[in-house]
Amino acid sequence: MLLNIRKKILYVIVSLIFFGLVLRFSHLQIYEQSRYTQESEKNRIRDVVIQPSRGLILDRNGRVIVDNVPSYSVFCVPVEMDYSWTLLSKILGLSESQLQEKIDKNSYGQFARVKLKRQISFEELSKIEEQRLDLPGISYDIEPRRYYPSEVKAPHIFGYLGEADNMLLKSMDRSIYHPGDLVGKTGLEKVYDLQLRGIPGHRFVEVDALGREVNRGQGDLERIAAVPGQNLHLTLDGRLQLFLEEQFSGISGGAVVVDCSNGEILAMVSKPDYDLSLFTKPLTHDLWKTLSEDTTKPLFDRMVQSLYPPGSTFKLAVAAAALEQGKGYDDMTFTCDGAYRYGNRMFDCWKEEGHGTLDLMGAIEQSCNVYFYQLGLKLGIDILSEYARKFRFGLPTQIDLMEESAGFVPDRDYLNKTYGFGNWTQGLVLNLAVGQGDLLVTPLQMAALAMIIANKGIYFNFHLMRYLEEPVSRVQSWGQVEPTRIDGISESTFDKLRQGMFKVVNGENGTGRACRLPNIQIAGKTGTAQNPHGDDHAWFIGFAPYESPEIAFSVFIENGGGGGAVAAPLARLLIEEYYHLEISRRQ
Amino acid sequence: MIYENTKISAVDIIIIIAMILLVIAGLVSIYSAVHASGLSELHANFSRQILWFAVGVVFFVCTTFLSIRLISDVSYWIYFFTLVLLASTLFAGAGAGVQRWLVIGPVQFQPAEFCKIGVVLALAKYLSTENRDLNRPSHIFMSGLIVLLPVLLLLKQPDLGTALVFISLILPVIFWAGLPLHLMAILLAPCISMIASFHYYSFFAAMIFIALVFALFRRGLKFLLGNMVVNIAVAVTTPFLWNALHAYQKHRILTFLGMELDVHGSGYQLIQSKVAIGSGGLLGKGFLEGTQTQLRFLPAQHTDFIFSVIGEEFGFVGIFLILLLFYFIIIRGIHVAFNCRNKFASLMSIGAASVIAIHVIINTGMTVGVMPVTGIPLPLISYGGSSLMTNMILIALIINASMRRYHI
Repeated sequence: MLLNIRKKILYVIVSLIFFGLVLRFSHLQIYEQSRYTQESEKNRIRDVVIQPSRGLILDRNGRVIVDNVPSYSVFCVPVEMDYSWTLLSKILGLSESQLQEKIDKNSYGQFARVKLKRQISFEELSKIEEQRLDLPGISYDIEPRRYYPSEVKAPHIFGYLGEADNMLLKSMDRSIYHPGDLVGKTGLEKVYDLQLRGIPGHRFVEVDALGREVNRGQGDLERIAAVPGQNLHLTLDGRLQLFLEEQFSGISGGAVVVDCSNGEILAMVSKPDYDLSLFTKPLTHDLWKTLSEDTTKPLFDRMVQSLYPPGSTFKLAVAAAALEQGKGYDDMTFTCDGAYRYGNRMFDCWKEEGHGTLDLMGAIEQSCNVYFYQLGLKLGIDILSEYARKFRFGLPTQIDLMEESAGFVPDRDYLNKTYGFGNWTQGLVLNLAVGQGDLLVTPLQMAALAMIIANKGIYFNFHLMRYLEEPVSRVQSWGQVEPTRIDGISESTFDKLRQGMFKVVNGENGTGRACRLPNIQIAGKTGTAQNPHGDDHAWFIGFAPYESPEIAFSVFIENGGGGGAVAAPLARLLIEEYYHLEISRRQ
Repeated sequence: MIYENTKISAVDIIIIIAMILLVIAGLVSIYSAVHASGLSELHANFSRQILWFAVGVVFFVCTTFLSIRLISDVSYWIYFFTLVLLASTLFAGAGAGVQRWLVIGPVQFQPAEFCKIGVVLALAKYLSTENRDLNRPSHIFMSGLIVLLPVLLLLKQPDLGTALVFISLILPVIFWAGLPLHLMAILLAPCISMIASFHYYSFFAAMIFIALVFALFRRGLKFLLGNMVVNIAVAVTTPFLWNALHAYQKHRILTFLGMELDVHGSGYQLIQSKVAIGSGGLLGKGFLEGTQTQLRFLPAQHTDFIFSVIGEEFGFVGIFLILLLFYFIIIRGIHVAFNCRNKFASLMSIGAASVIAIHVIINTGMTVGVMPVTGIPLPLISYGGSSLMTNMILIALIINASMRRYHI
């Protein structure tokens, strides 16, 4: 057959096929156009995100402290809103410009749903459902919100949720956070946000041309279930926490109780505080203003973020320095007659009539300032700051909370820089020796000091998380607890410090006698930090039982007065309650 | 001599313009298709496609000016090379569920695409060799084998769509090489038997039709009966082979034949694609205005279903212009093949035009439900570097052949 014929056959076949295609397209696009236009408007399938339920937060006994309850949120698809504006603004009580503002802020695509209002009331919900046909582009969905079933407050520990801000959205993977998402803003909610939040699911629903869901309630076209967040099991004992919160009501201050054997936080109270349930509703500007401008600073976690001079509790570190220096330091006696003259200044002891002649152990027991002034002078600034750092002052405890303060340890460089080279007097060293002046610590660090001495030099990083548990598979992931040994302080030094602390509570002249208990041997150290702005701060740190310590603690009362008089009795109550609970648990 | 001394004026400028217009149309549609998925993806996909085009231009120019003798000499080598690449996907392939990709350093590509070039060249080479006689079954079988090797590898991947392209490719090429019509009928009849084997009535109707056609050739009773036995055997065994197919392949074929409607799978794509195209109307909804596209209904709207995006946003006018450009390139390829005195160049041009034609017909037909949803790209337009480069090289082969139409 001639090639010419074959060419023509191919031409005809190709032309016929292309003609067929063009015919088919013209049929679809011209003849059936109106039908498909209708379809395209009617038949839209939308991907609706199902919010996963956020992981629960439970105490060490498995009691739920932070829970979820369902609530409804309203969403819109901006391009489909059409004539919904007026009616919607009436139902939600938001002006049209406020709605527009919300959309501008949270929009991430022409057809993506924007959250307009969280936690609408039942009335608002019923109105929207009732007038669904007049509200194109508007939908609502269940979103879990936080709920606090227990009486435990501890807002600083748990933290609250809020809508993701731009910084977070930019810094994190686009697939994890979306505009309008609720994320942990403070506390554990923030630290463990990625573990708690879970993975959103998807519903594929049919919507009509105006974005209204058709066949709502009759099942979705397809559904990918949300994966709930992991449950956070805490080291906190809810009952001890609650007890302490009650003890501290009306007081500024707080307490930290830790397990000596692993650094677990058993209770941590900071007062004044606020009610977390205030934050489960969308936060109003007024409320925020009231809280943030409150002079008692309820938003502040006094245990973790606030810095105070440690007062006499620091004498333990000074004593440790003397004991480590050995002969000529730890075997000295000084006489206290109520004040010590240095240069032309008088440095007072807290006991006006004086302590008489004391050795180191007696000076710890009675917390004699005059003794420690002289000891501090002898040791000098370099040794004092070195030992303060050995006890981890100036370092965060690495607790799993945000914005922990590291505190501050003054040293020679700092004093030279601040007061001018050679311009500062030994008076500053005297002050440092009794825990006043530039030295600043958090109550958490003081609890760490108590734990280190109780454990004879073994330190554990503080933590609130015991383990995370997958709610479905029940797979648990535990944090690692590694002991660290404090370098350069011998066991005999720790023995002496422990004996000193024992005498503080149990000695004839001990300053911490108010913490004495008949059945449990307690060791502690009082502290009274002078406060240039008002009354003294009261400190009491310690551990119990003396022989084989289980818990260490620090109690702090802002402007409370003397540590022995105010803080020590609270510490006694704390230990009593701890053992009371222990006994009931063991039974 | 690697390059022949050719005047630039001899280059077929119009076909190049058609190609560039199609690539531009592709970029515009890809932009629209990924626009819906967010900015970062958009930039990544869009700029990558431009990069592929730039690389493609280099290959295009080189291929255009290569000496036809050189191409002829290395034809088998290219074929085997692309075949080895294709085979290696079975061992080293990367890809979700199906092994179609090969990764070399930062470059990811689909050997199946480049293998099309290899098959076109090998077929042209084999059929243009002297003393080739397409009346001899062994020679037909050998040319079939050239196609069969990649088809087997593709079925193993499994990539049914691309396998279908290779199988369809052999028909126009051996037809052009001078296969007698009665042999052509022998080859085609089993395909019809296969499709008709699913139903009693269609089976009988097909058998009667085939018998009539064979009778018309008047080649004797033996010829007629022999062929009927083969076709009946094919029709009977097909259902068994059917059961050996992958579930998703059966699914797609059934959906294609209208025997099954799958709202979530390929049927869903088809419905959404038809809605997109149909609602586009005569003039379309406008660039970035297609609701179906921007709502991301079509799972592969920047690759396999790019034509639906064009249909929705640019309407029938857009569709018509694109089809016209393809039609022009394909007819040009046949025209070049006819004018070539060099048999190798002629067959190469037919092969290249056929590959493009098959892709265009299956892909565009798929978007409106006249072809199965097989997942093969639209030449020059769909997103994807391997496909873009392969098609540019195929067009370069046509141009190359057209410049040397008087060489022997």
